Amino acid sequence: MVWQTIWGQIVDLTLVAVLLRVMTPILLASLGGLISDIGGVINIGLEGLMLLSAFTSIAVGSSTGNWAVGVLAGVATSVLVSYGMGFFSLKMKVDIIITGFAVNIFGSGFTIFLMSKLYGMTGNYSPSGAPRIPTVNIPFIEDVPVLGKLLSGHSLMVWIALFSVIFCIFLIYRTPYGVHLRSVGEAPYAAQSLGIPAKRIQYSALAWSGVFAGLAGAFLSNGLTNMFVKDMTAGTGFLALAVVLLGNRNPIGILIGSLIFGLASALATIVQTVPNSPIPSQFIQMIPYVVTIAVLVFFALRNKRRLATMP
Amino acid sequence: MKSSKALFLEIGGILAAVVTALLCGFVVILLTSSEPFTAISALLLDPLSSTFNIGTILNKAVPLILTGLALSVVFQSGVFSMGAEGQLYIGAFVGALAGVYLPDLSPWIHFPLVIVCALLGGALFGAIPGVLKAYLNANEIVTTLMLNFVAILTTSYFVNNQLKAASGGGYAKMDNISKDILLPKLFPGMAAHAGILIAVAAVIIVYLLMYKTSIGYELRLVGKNGHFARYGGIATRKVIVVSVMISGALAGLAGIVEVLGIHGTFKENFSANLGFDGIIIALLARNHPIGVLIAALFYAYIQVGAQTMQFGSDMPREVAVIIQVMLVLLVSAQAIFTYIKQRYARSGQKAVK
Repeated sequence: MVWQTIWGQIVDLTLVAVLLRVMTPILLASLGGLISDIGGVINIGLEGLMLLSAFTSIAVGSSTGNWAVGVLAGVATSVLVSYGMGFFSLKMKVDIIITGFAVNIFGSGFTIFLMSKLYGMTGNYSPSGAPRIPTVNIPFIEDVPVLGKLLSGHSLMVWIALFSVIFCIFLIYRTPYGVHLRSVGEAPYAAQSLGIPAKRIQYSALAWSGVFAGLAGAFLSNGLTNMFVKDMTAGTGFLALAVVLLGNRNPIGILIGSLIFGLASALATIVQTVPNSPIPSQFIQMIPYVVTIAVLVFFALRNKRRLATMP
Repeated sequence: MKSSKALFLEIGGILAAVVTALLCGFVVILLTSSEPFTAISALLLDPLSSTFNIGTILNKAVPLILTGLALSVVFQSGVFSMGAEGQLYIGAFVGALAGVYLPDLSPWIHFPLVIVCALLGGALFGAIPGVLKAYLNANEIVTTLMLNFVAILTTSYFVNNQLKAASGGGYAKMDNISKDILLPKLFPGMAAHAGILIAVAAVIIVYLLMYKTSIGYELRLVGKNGHFARYGGIATRKVIVVSVMISGALAGLAGIVEVLGIHGTFKENFSANLGFDGIIIALLARNHPIGVLIAALFYAYIQVGAQTMQFGSDMPREVAVIIQVMLVLLVSAQAIFTYIKQRYARSGQKAVK
């Protein structure tokens, strides 16, 4: 029964559509995590940034009636808070992990605070008629049998996420900024002695992570669901951190990692909708976490062996 | 003499951070409330206005003290574990299994057995990221975060299926634990349960362990300077695993005390981030056991204050989050503390001249 449902959805390509949808926030957030990680400022506050952006995006989007303004406001909020993280970690010398941790508590609590103060709700806020991020229907291709379902009818943010992968490859490996970013992440003092403004680069790395986490959050509220639910990220930000490691710290690896995570949650969603499923959905939900640990162990073992065989 | 001055400065700095954080909270209340003074007084005074509220503060402090201790131990060995939440679930789960399914035993045997099971459950689950960190250098922040999900989902699966209580109605929980091993009320008529005694005992034991035994010394040395410790002949890997296991055991204890004191059985998703709140407590306390006790009581006070404020005014209790976040950031802001110390040192020199 479950297998038939899953197989059916694979055959009629629904799985692909679901996969792309659930992959998008993970992919965007982990690209953000990647840039800050490369710059040597690990951002574990992605979860909080996403929540803040998700709330701002739907609130501004529904009050202005324009999804683009909403998304921009969400991204702006997220970037602003990342600059705040930079202030506390780079200037006030708070450990970057602790700063990220604080942003996560802040994002979770402050969005609920705003929701209850502004709209009198505590659980979720679903404005009627809030504008959605539009879907992209590609003319002609949408009528081609298989190709149409594969390429057409996805949210604009799905495409933005996929193009962001290319953008990140370009940014990190093809620009002077990328060279600076990588050198600051590898050896901040050495970079500084060569005249690279290490602090400023790290601020910008955090800001980039804010941009991508902001896009991811805005997609959750304005694209996927059209509402804000408290703690609606449900660990996506933490997953993104795992994807950064899983993807071996490069954009293509991150795309693959996000696909694995996306597939697991897409399957869990399908299994949950099948009544009396023999496969417990909890264990399918667990797959990405277990895979992450397994991959981490795999990389650690490989590094260890490489160190051991070095002359 | 010098160290007591440093301690004085440290405590002064932390108090200043607490006051500043509270002020930030007040500013937000002033800006957003139509009855700010009612709200502030409800936040600050109402928690102490009744024995019921005081009991609630103690009850809320109990798991915070234990998770705070758990994290202070592991942080001192230089491992940044985020895994107390998962260890708490596993400890509570294993303990509750022993509580529900062991055949009739005298409570004098049954109760310690349940506690030991919870300690072991937490310690063994904590050992996983510990071993991965110590022997493979796998990033403990990621492994512990991932294992939290594994723990929460696994226990959720069992209490939704095989172990689901028929009497639970719509709730996913185990059968009730027999009343004679539940933690009794501290005083009749007060909300506080006897878990606070366990928490205080744990504070004393952890204090002795960290500052009066060789394992505590080795643990702190590894945290301060791993290379130096290894050079000095300390088996750093073993020490790291031991510290993570002690931490897991304490987190497991936090879980079972919450089960035996508050819920009476294991419920799905019962913790609500106690493990993460423990991180804040350990940070505020600068990883010192006595500090953990004070910080947890203060934190519980703010939480109860936030609740009474929500009842007594137009402010939602989430305002407390602003105070918590500012506390975390200000207390961990090294730059401020270095600045204060430098200023103090300079003024001291002037006085000598």
